[in-house]
Amino acid sequence: MMILTGKTLVSALRPPYPYGSEFVGQFLFALRLCWLPLLISTVAVSYGAPGLQAANFLILFGALDRLGGFFVLAIIREFAPFVCAIIVAGVAGTAITADLGARKIREELDALQVLGVDPVKNLVVPRFLALMLVTGLFDIFAIIFGITGGLIATLVNGAPLGPFWATFFTNASTTDLWGSLLKCTLFGAITAIVCCYKGMTASGGAEGVGKAVNQAVVITFLGVFAFNYVFTQTLLATHPEIQVIR
Amino acid sequence: MGGWLALPKEWIGSFGSIAKFSGKILKQVYTLRVLHFFGETLRQCGVLILGSTLVIWGLVFIVGLQCGIEGAYFTRAQGAPAYSGVFAAWCDLREIVPYGFGYMMAAKVGTGIVAELGSMRISDEIDALEVMGIDSVLFLCATKLLASWLVLPFMYMAAVGAGFFASYLAVVQQIGEVSPGGFSLIFWMFQNPPDLLYSVIKAMVMATAIVLVGCYYGYHAGGGPVGVGTATAKSMVMNIVLVHLIGMLGTQVFWGANPRAPIGG
Repeated sequence: MMILTGKTLVSALRPPYPYGSEFVGQFLFALRLCWLPLLISTVAVSYGAPGLQAANFLILFGALDRLGGFFVLAIIREFAPFVCAIIVAGVAGTAITADLGARKIREELDALQVLGVDPVKNLVVPRFLALMLVTGLFDIFAIIFGITGGLIATLVNGAPLGPFWATFFTNASTTDLWGSLLKCTLFGAITAIVCCYKGMTASGGAEGVGKAVNQAVVITFLGVFAFNYVFTQTLLATHPEIQVIR
Repeated sequence: MGGWLALPKEWIGSFGSIAKFSGKILKQVYTLRVLHFFGETLRQCGVLILGSTLVIWGLVFIVGLQCGIEGAYFTRAQGAPAYSGVFAAWCDLREIVPYGFGYMMAAKVGTGIVAELGSMRISDEIDALEVMGIDSVLFLCATKLLASWLVLPFMYMAAVGAGFFASYLAVVQQIGEVSPGGFSLIFWMFQNPPDLLYSVIKAMVMATAIVLVGCYYGYHAGGGPVGVGTATAKSMVMNIVLVHLIGMLGTQVFWGANPRAPIGG
């Protein structure tokens, strides 16, 4: 997998760049598949987990207006990137593994190589770039819809929205936002590499493709969560100013 | 515009048949017809325990660590680091452990079922079962559902334990601003057995939905090796959305109107 990562990076940068149209195709493909699951999931997660539970807790202290500040931590830093990664891995990643695995089984990849077309450059690189871009951009949508979930939770508790926005914007910082975007983009890269690798090494007929998808999702999830832990820890430790509650 | 609405259309189209198929499996389990194949059920239990337990515990452990550091930093910022136990208790037991469990169930068990049943369908093994006079839905799907009901409550409780242990490690050993005793006091004060029961119910509803969706997509796979891969991918989409929705509804039902915290009246 590391070798594939290296090859992908090298052949993405080195000319010629024949993967333009494939890149656009994959980008639209991921966008088409993911938008609805992402929308439903982010609203559901943020309404349930941070919204209701944190609102319950804050109401006990009569401080529901702090919910906005909590949402900076919960949505921007944690839930939006991780829901994004889960959706992109589960939806677009599995589709990529299934697609590449089927091509491998039907020996199309070998045929490409015989024709002198580099499968890494023409198949992996566009998917890698497209997933990175799509996951990073989806992060914005996840944040927007996650905050919508928080707004619903506030409204359900019968509180006005003004204090929510006030504490939200006093606590939000640029560091949080770029941290979130960077994290999400890297999640996309992990997903793309694992899924392409598992798809291109599938073997053993129909069962092999199914198994490849299975393993790809499991490895992606573990990788994403482990990376998330390390990244969050590093970000929080190196940027103490984002921990301050204003 | 073609592809943009394909997914919701497909969900609406297949919802009825998934519900019908699930009803059939549930009926077979509840009327205890599934006990004809109790040996196969036990074998499925074994597959579940040996194949999936460690992966699920591993993921829950990682999200537990995550909960721990977020909680520790958040409560430190509030000026109350002694209370990071509250964050860990609520975050682990009520939200993150069920979600982590659901994600890994969908990824490992759900897609595994689709891959297995799908390849059996493609190589005509399911038809062969029918020809031999064995009810294939009963033999393949109902046994899996019963097996997951037998194994998963216990596995889930152990997973909650793994999450708690990870939060303890992160808060007490790694960040180190709370003493072990102080952490435990707050941690156990903010949860009680009914919370664990609700959490188990939430996770079991997720697990049931995942097994049923996996069985449906695997049993109805078609179109060669490509078909199996596509069915696996489709089941994953459905499962992830279901996990999130069930998580939200569970929170609303169990904790929405009653925070169950030892504060105030």
